[in-house]
Parts: sequence; structure tokens; C-alpha cells
Amino acid sequence: MDNSDQSTFERDLSAALGRKAAVVVPGFAERVVEVVQVKRRRANVIRWSSWITTAAACLVTIFLTKEPSEESLIRQTRALLASDESAQFNEILGLANDLSVLAPVIEKSTLVDVLTSPGS
Amino acid sequence: MSQDEPLLPDDVEDKRLMLLVAGGDDDALRLLVNRHHPRLVGYLRGEVGSLATAEELAMEVFIRLHRAANRWRPEAKLSTYLIHIARNLVLNEWRRRGRKPTTALDSTPEPGDHSQTSARRLNELDEAFQRAIAQLPPEQRTAILLLVQQELAYEDIAEIMDAPVSSVKTWIHRARARLRELLKDFYGPA
Repeated sequence: MDNSDQSTFERDLSAALGRKAAVVVPGFAERVVEVVQVKRRRANVIRWSSWITTAAACLVTIFLTKEPSEESLIRQTRALLASDESAQFNEILGLANDLSVLAPVIEKSTLVDVLTSPGS
Repeated sequence: MSQDEPLLPDDVEDKRLMLLVAGGDDDALRLLVNRHHPRLVGYLRGEVGSLATAEELAMEVFIRLHRAANRWRPEAKLSTYLIHIARNLVLNEWRRRGRKPTTALDSTPEPGDHSQTSARRLNELDEAFQRAIAQLPPEQRTAILLLVQQELAYEDIAEIMDAPVSSVKTWIHRARARLRELLKDFYGPA
């Protein structure tokens, strides 16, 4: 290979590539910044919606699992008692039980035996 | 990305801007892009052949840089780091296309103060070189572009290409030989 050809080749290679080494694109930096800002806004929206959803879920959980206070429990019990008619039924049913106790406990077969015995 | 080299003033300025970018400063990002996009787009155009694709990829490089600003190591040279990201994107682009970019490159005449004849001669030569470079195997093309066009050191090229320096030297040697062969009409047989 001729040395002068080689050096010309090297020089031309460097020059040809060097001329294409840098390409200034007008407005390129602005476009990059715009894209970055859009992505940042989108990320913020996603972050906030995620935060709001989590907060809402927490509130619902707290509301559902909240333990009632003692005073509230007493009030609820009293209300239940006031609307409950089972006590009145109990009274009636209890009386019925008492009446059944008073009924004679005589077996039918025993009564027949007494009436048919020769000494009666 | 040689970590032993002292930081040059440009590198110090890059480091300062990157810290600002990591803090969400868009003006710093704008400055950084203006400083680095011409060489990055030039390199990418050499790789993919199309200016439009080169711009798209360069845009993605800067978006990734912005995303990684907090993790960027200040001791690394930013220009090398950018080309490292760009090289990975080029590899992805080739995989996506399912073929290597061996088509003819965009030929945009560069502005200059040459006479019309010498300008035509320069354009012919440029186009011949661009076509020849587009025909190189990918590793050879990347290596020769990074060495001759971007003027990077062998060690930096090796780091960008995730390869030993010896492989880089081999690729460059083969690239030169192949280019001589492809351009034998201009320079005679190798």
C-alpha cells in the first residue's frame, strides 16, 4: 500500500467524519425540556391520584373498623330493649308454664282401674 | 469513563449542571442539552444513517439522563456517559428493526465557505465515506466513529462498548482495512 495514499485516506477519513461529528438541531433543547416537563406532570398526577386513593381507602377502613364507645353501646342496648317485645312474650309463656304445673297429673289407665274395681 | 483522569473545566461545568438537573432545574437541563446534543446527534446519525432517527434517539438519551440524574456518578465524563446510553439505544433500535442500518445515509450538504467545485468534491467524498461506513459491521462502525469522529480514547471506547481494549483495536484496524477496500476507486487498492 502506498504511504501517501494511506495518509491521504486517513486525512480524508478524519475530515469526512469530522464534518459530520456535530449536528446542531435548532430548538432541540426546548423540545427535550418540554418532554421532560410533560413526563414530570404526568408522574405528579399519578403520584397524587395514588396518594388520594390510598388515603380514601384508609378512611373507609377506619370508618368500618372503628370500635363504638361505651356510652354508644349503652344507648344502643337501651334502644334495643325498648323495641324488644320478647320480654312480654316471656311473661305470657311463663304464665302458661305455671298453669300447666297446676293441671292434674292423672293417667287415664289408673282412673279406669279405680272405677272398675269391685269395691268401688 | 476513565475515573483516574483529572476533570477538565468542561467536565466541572457538566458536573455542576448535572447537580442542578438532579434538583429539578430545567434551565440547567436546557444548557446541558445545548452543550452536548450536537456531537450526540452527529454520532447517532453516523450509527443509524437517518437524521430524524438520530434526533429521536438523542431525545431519548437526554430523557434517560434526566431520569438518572440522581444516580449519575460525578467522576464519570458526561459526554462518555451520554454516548454509552446512546450506544445501548442504537443496539435496541437495531433489534427493533430486525436488521442493521446498512442503507445509504442522509446526505445534507454542510454549509461552508468553499467554492462550488470544492464543495461538490467534499460532498462526494463525504457521501462515499458515509456509504462505506454504513456497510461496516456494527462493532467496526461504532469503534471507528467513536475514535475518529468523536475523538474518544481507546479506553473510553472499550467501556462504552463493554469490550476489552484489544477488541476495540482489532475492530478499528479491520474497519480501516474494509474502508480502504470499499473506497479503492478513490485511493487505489489497499
